[in-house]
Amino acid sequence: MRFPSQAEEQALHERVLKKNEALASQDVFRVFMDPITRVLCRSRRRPEDDEAYDAVCDVLMEYLENPERYQAHRSRLSSYLTRNAEMQARDTHRAREARQRREREFGEVIELRATAPNRSLEINVEVGHLMGRLEQAIQERDRAAFGLILQGERSTDALAKAMNLPTLPEKELRREVKRNRDRLMKTLGRIGKEE
Amino acid sequence: MSNPDWLERAALRAQRASWTLAYTFERYRQLEERTEAELARDLCCTREVLYWLCLCRKPEGPDFDTQVTAITERHEVNRKALVDVIRHVEIVEALSKQVTAANGEEPPLQMAARDRVPGEKTSP
Repeated sequence: MRFPSQAEEQALHERVLKKNEALASQDVFRVFMDPITRVLCRSRRRPEDDEAYDAVCDVLMEYLENPERYQAHRSRLSSYLTRNAEMQARDTHRAREARQRREREFGEVIELRATAPNRSLEINVEVGHLMGRLEQAIQERDRAAFGLILQGERSTDALAKAMNLPTLPEKELRREVKRNRDRLMKTLGRIGKEE
Repeated sequence: MSNPDWLERAALRAQRASWTLAYTFERYRQLEERTEAELARDLCCTREVLYWLCLCRKPEGPDFDTQVTAITERHEVNRKALVDVIRHVEIVEALSKQVTAANGEEPPLQMAARDRVPGEKTSP
C-alpha cells in the first residue's frame, strides 16, 4: 500500500481537525498504518513486527489526540507521521536492548553466585553432620542462646533471656552475656578444628 | 473488507483514549460484564467489525445522528444497539462524575443496574 497524495492527506487532516467525524480516525489507520509500518521494517534497525505496529499505533493515536500539532507548511502529513514513528520505534528498540542487557547481566551474576547442584548436596550433608556434632557438644540449656548467636543476634537483653541469666545491673549483665557468648564460640571453634 | 494483522492491536491501543469507541466498548464490557464476543453479538456484528468500530471517534454532540449513520453505512452493525451502548456508558460516566463531585470520593464502577441488554425487546 502506498501513501496517499498530498491533497488526499490534507483532506484527511481537515476531517481529523474537525473532531466531529466518527470515521476520520479509522481512516487515518487505514491510510497510514501499512505504508509507515513498511518504512519502519525497511530501516537498518528493523524492528520486530509487533514493535513496528505498536510504534505506528502510538504515533497515530498521538496525532489523532493532538492533530493541531502537525504544521502543514513544514512537511507532508505522511512525512511527519513516519518521522515520529521512526523515533518511537528507535526509543522502543533502545529500551528493549537496555532491558535485555540488564537481564543478561543479572543472569550472569546469579550464575556466578549460584552453587553447583552437586556442591549444594555436599553442603547439605556436611551441615547435617555438623548439626549432629553440635547437638552432642552443646548442652540443652545453651541451645537457645547458641541459635540466636548463629542468627546474628547482638542484643544483650535477647541473649541474656535465652541464656536464662537472672536480673542483673546492666554492666554486669553485659559481662555475663559476653562470658557465655565467648564460651559458646570457643566450643564452636573446637568442633570446627575437630572436623 | 480486509482485516490486517495490526487491527486487533490498534483496537486494544485505542482503549486508552476516552474519545474512541474502543474506550466506550471497554467501559461497557466492564460495567455489564460482557465478553468481547458477547458485545459483538449484542451489536449484531463480527469481532473484526467490532475492532474497526473501536478505531472510530465516539459520536457525540449535535452531529451524533449523522456520525452514527456514517458508521452504520460503512459497517454492518445494529444501529439501535450501538446507540444504546454509547448512551449507557455516557449516563454511567455522568452519574459517576456527579457522585464523585458531590462526595469527593472515588467513582463507583457499578452504578446502574442492568434492566435489559441492547437489542432486547421491551414491553409496550
